[in-house]
Amino acid sequence: MNYDDETLMAYADGELDAAQRAEIGAAVAGDPELARRVEKHRALRADVAGAFADVIDQPMPQRLLSAANAGAAAGASRGGKVLQFPSRGSRPPGPRWQAREWAAMAASVVLGVVISWRVFAPAEGGLVAANGGALVARGQLAAALDQQLASNQRREDSVQIGLTFKARDGNFCRSFTLRDAKTAGLACRGGGEWQIAATAAAEIPAGQVSQAGSALPAAILSAVEARMAGDALDAAGEESARRGGWDSKR
Amino acid sequence: MTNGTEEISERIVGLLPRLRRFARSLSRNQHDADDLVQSAVERAWKNIEQLKPGANLGSWMFGIMKNAWIDDRRARGRRGEVPLPDDSGSHPAVSPADADARRWSVSEAMSKLPEEQRLAIALVLVEGMSYKEAAAALEIPIGTLTSRLARGRTALAAELGDSA
Repeated sequence: MNYDDETLMAYADGELDAAQRAEIGAAVAGDPELARRVEKHRALRADVAGAFADVIDQPMPQRLLSAANAGAAAGASRGGKVLQFPSRGSRPPGPRWQAREWAAMAASVVLGVVISWRVFAPAEGGLVAANGGALVARGQLAAALDQQLASNQRREDSVQIGLTFKARDGNFCRSFTLRDAKTAGLACRGGGEWQIAATAAAEIPAGQVSQAGSALPAAILSAVEARMAGDALDAAGEESARRGGWDSKR
Repeated sequence: MTNGTEEISERIVGLLPRLRRFARSLSRNQHDADDLVQSAVERAWKNIEQLKPGANLGSWMFGIMKNAWIDDRRARGRRGEVPLPDDSGSHPAVSPADADARRWSVSEAMSKLPEEQRLAIALVLVEGMSYKEAAAALEIPIGTLTSRLARGRTALAAELGDSA
């Protein structure tokens, strides 16, 4: 069976619906050439994303913070007032904010807003969707849960996979962390999708690969322990489960 | 209205790191990228009445940034300006050398893409938007977004493969 490049790209990006994803997933599992093409899409995506990833953690210039706050500082932007913006076109005077100061400010003022907005707002890439009472993974999160292996993931991948294991009900579960959203979670197979079983705030030092289990918040670890039957899968077990399309009956 | 305005301020501050990353993937140096972010944020405040209640602030802001970038490129083209050189190597304390090198080659490859492909790549691959979200921010149908994304990826892969 042959698939066009746009379909494989959409598969690699986690953009197909569950039925299409299952179909392509099965085809990819049985065809190394298709698997190679999907992997090329995924690798290019990781390369491009990784190239700009550290911009997120760089010190924020004061002039941008001032511009962002200009509406509130003026009191009422809707009143038709002319707002004063900092001048553009020159580098900011004095030292830029250090990462630590910016981080402290972000933590104290906007972190709560950012976390909740990032994880659930569609602009983050629609990482989850509600489906019949369950939250299910979408977009990059679904793609990572489907394809990414903890054994060979890249540091710059925005979703990091932790533990993969079989739950007492026989379904596969995987723990994950969302680096940008500073959120950890547990997803388990159900209805052909990845259902989100638990989430919690996670602090991930920039650039650190989450090692199996160690970086998981207590709430996620206890959700894992409550479900896990036997041991977590090793690299070979993980790969074999992926090859089987995360279908526990195989 | 003050509470609403303050809340919007906070959310824009929260968006700044991502807006900067988006700008950085479009412009080849950080100073131009920050100018772009500033100009987009100023436009947003000037047109804040157009933000409909319940609308997604993120999509709206990314759309404004797209327009600001295209307008800026048109203006530079008319003035015959040459963009400032890339300064990827100027933050050694923040990013390791290999990240600089990789960003340089990816930036280089992206700068050769047509505008519309660069925008699609930046929103989906760099910002991690879904196709639907990216199409909405760019105000184009999903099919158009998908084909620009596929063409951009093919060109990028060829460019990066050649330079490796």
